Amino acid sequence: MSQDILLVGMNHRTAPVEVRERLAFANGRLEPALRTLVGWPGVAEGVILSTCNRVEVVACGNDPALLAVELPRFLAHEHGVDPALLAGRLYTYRGRDAVRHVFRVAASLDSMVVGEPQILGQVKSQYAAAAAVGASGRILHRCFHRSFAVAKRIRTETAIAEKAVSIGSVAVELAQEIFDVLGDKTALLIGAAAMGEVTARQLLAQGVGSLLVANRTWERALDVAGTLGGLPVPFDRLVRYLPLADLVIGAVGGPSYVIGPAAVRDALRERRGKPIFLIDLAVPRSIDPAVHQLDGAYVYDIDDLESVIAEHRDARAAEAARAEAIVNSEVESFWRWLEGLEVVPTVVALREKVEAIRQQELARVLAGGSWDPAQRELLERLTRGICNKILHAPLTVLRQHPETASADALAAVRMLFALDARPRDGEVEEDED
Amino acid sequence: MEIVLLRVAAAGYLVATVAVLASLVMRRELPKRIVVWMLASTLLLHTTSIALRGLLVGSIPVATLPEALSLLAALVIALFLAIQIRAPLLALGAVVVPSAFGLTLAASVLKSGAQPLPPVLHSIWLPVHVLFAFLGDAVFALACSASVLYLVQEHRLKTHRGRGVLGRLPSLETLDRISASCLRWGLVLLTIGIVTGIVWAHEAWGRFWLGDPKLVFSLLVWGLYMVLLQGRMTAGWRGRRAAQLTIVGFMAILASLLGVNLFGLGLHGRAY
Repeated sequence: MSQDILLVGMNHRTAPVEVRERLAFANGRLEPALRTLVGWPGVAEGVILSTCNRVEVVACGNDPALLAVELPRFLAHEHGVDPALLAGRLYTYRGRDAVRHVFRVAASLDSMVVGEPQILGQVKSQYAAAAAVGASGRILHRCFHRSFAVAKRIRTETAIAEKAVSIGSVAVELAQEIFDVLGDKTALLIGAAAMGEVTARQLLAQGVGSLLVANRTWERALDVAGTLGGLPVPFDRLVRYLPLADLVIGAVGGPSYVIGPAAVRDALRERRGKPIFLIDLAVPRSIDPAVHQLDGAYVYDIDDLESVIAEHRDARAAEAARAEAIVNSEVESFWRWLEGLEVVPTVVALREKVEAIRQQELARVLAGGSWDPAQRELLERLTRGICNKILHAPLTVLRQHPETASADALAAVRMLFALDARPRDGEVEEDED
Repeated sequence: MEIVLLRVAAAGYLVATVAVLASLVMRRELPKRIVVWMLASTLLLHTTSIALRGLLVGSIPVATLPEALSLLAALVIALFLAIQIRAPLLALGAVVVPSAFGLTLAASVLKSGAQPLPPVLHSIWLPVHVLFAFLGDAVFALACSASVLYLVQEHRLKTHRGRGVLGRLPSLETLDRISASCLRWGLVLLTIGIVTGIVWAHEAWGRFWLGDPKLVFSLLVWGLYMVLLQGRMTAGWRGRRAAQLTIVGFMAILASLLGVNLFGLGLHGRAY
């Protein structure tokens, strides 16, 4: 009767990508797998989480020991892999730990980049898939909905997701410290190397209005400008385009600086003092550090960006501790709900059992003689009174304090009153005879 | 009674100062709302105090330094709250609210006997002149606050530091824009303040009183801000230099406010 939650899975820390990709549930494979999962031995409810960093199966059932054996077998079976491949790479969480893990995953505390926002959407859509095929029931439904609420709480109450930890996002963040809106700003990408292209792409994704691309080889500039939706400009006349640029991404290596203070001073004058943000991703550097001395010019080289990232990492670690505290308190409140869930059926079963005995005994006595209505009424009241008095204390304990009624107490009640025994016809009578 | 209210208001601004800094450090939604409500209710007490004082002296209470400081603080907070309605710029409060606390504290500590105005000065020009002059000062105070934040933010960017404890500040562009538009509005108000003052003096005494130190100071500030605004509009002055000049201009305003009152200079300083 009593339900437990078990989670079996692997993530980026326990298994290399070659193993994870073999276990991943691609789109279209998830629904059939979920149907198989709910038919699997020991599984009452199930949800599958599959992202590029993790494959996890969460299941509910009344025999956790059985689930611990069956869930890995399910994973191996679904993907047709040798169970030995999974040995040592799967982790198993049970009960509160399983709930805690689900909460941590949804809140992006278990992610490779802690605080990254995509994971919540992935968990939501995969839970929705499980709900759609009817694989998840009352318990996992609540568990996952709580996990979404926990993720939201952590996002609003801690700064865990506020700190950017990639070059591109730090560049965006710094740009927002300088510029009010990015939509009317122009970025100039100098050098179409991969890192510059990635950063430019991120700036555009964050709303930077337009992009100019300059590269030593014109064809490559054309190429990158084409893919990013920018405008190619000739490399040798770069300085002429400088006044147009609010953001400059220097990503071109070379023996000498591509942009020096004189050019930037002229550009600033032409821009009537509007600030320029210059991001130097190249090593050796492509922007003369002397440019930073100019009023209105802000130069960040790769080391400056890295030091901002390092600072943010430290801040994230501190915020993570606060987030874990939130997770722990939410796990406890979920667990109290789950235990409370078992109280109601236990109370009902206990009442029904005692009432059945009373009715049976009453019927036997009444059948054995002639009773006038007043006597019948008396017997009825007497037996009901005795039953209620006996039930009063245990029911009060169970009902008034569902959270303190521990699983042990519930199990004891069910065992002592044989509530889980399948009632057979005439069972009570047989015991009597 | 009004002095008690003023002290309560000063205490309220102190609490709001702590709250505004806390909300910047914690970056949560809740304290921001708390700060705004805290300031609004404190402002209500503060305004009541000023109104009671006004009833006592029979006109807008600006004849003494404490009265002037108190009115300035109330106007600054009112403007700050008005800005919050249009754009949530609580960070500005990190400068504005402590300043209001300082002004109110000074106003409530300094001795202040009631100084009724002589009958010759009672005219419609009194509230008009005073309101425009003080509103102008309050708007310049906001411009100065935005400029202070600009310098902080600029310094952070120039030294390649992270955000530090203050969390996220408004962008340079935003702060520069606030400062510039406050400068424009402040100049309009100051101009009206100066002109009405001159007209009023002429009406009361039949002279223009062009030698009054307060007027001289105000004309200096006016000239400085006019040059700054010209520079901003035509020569593209902006950023650090503009911020520094804005702060210098406000210091001059404070100096004239304190100077003429403390040393009893000219018409504005004289115990009428």
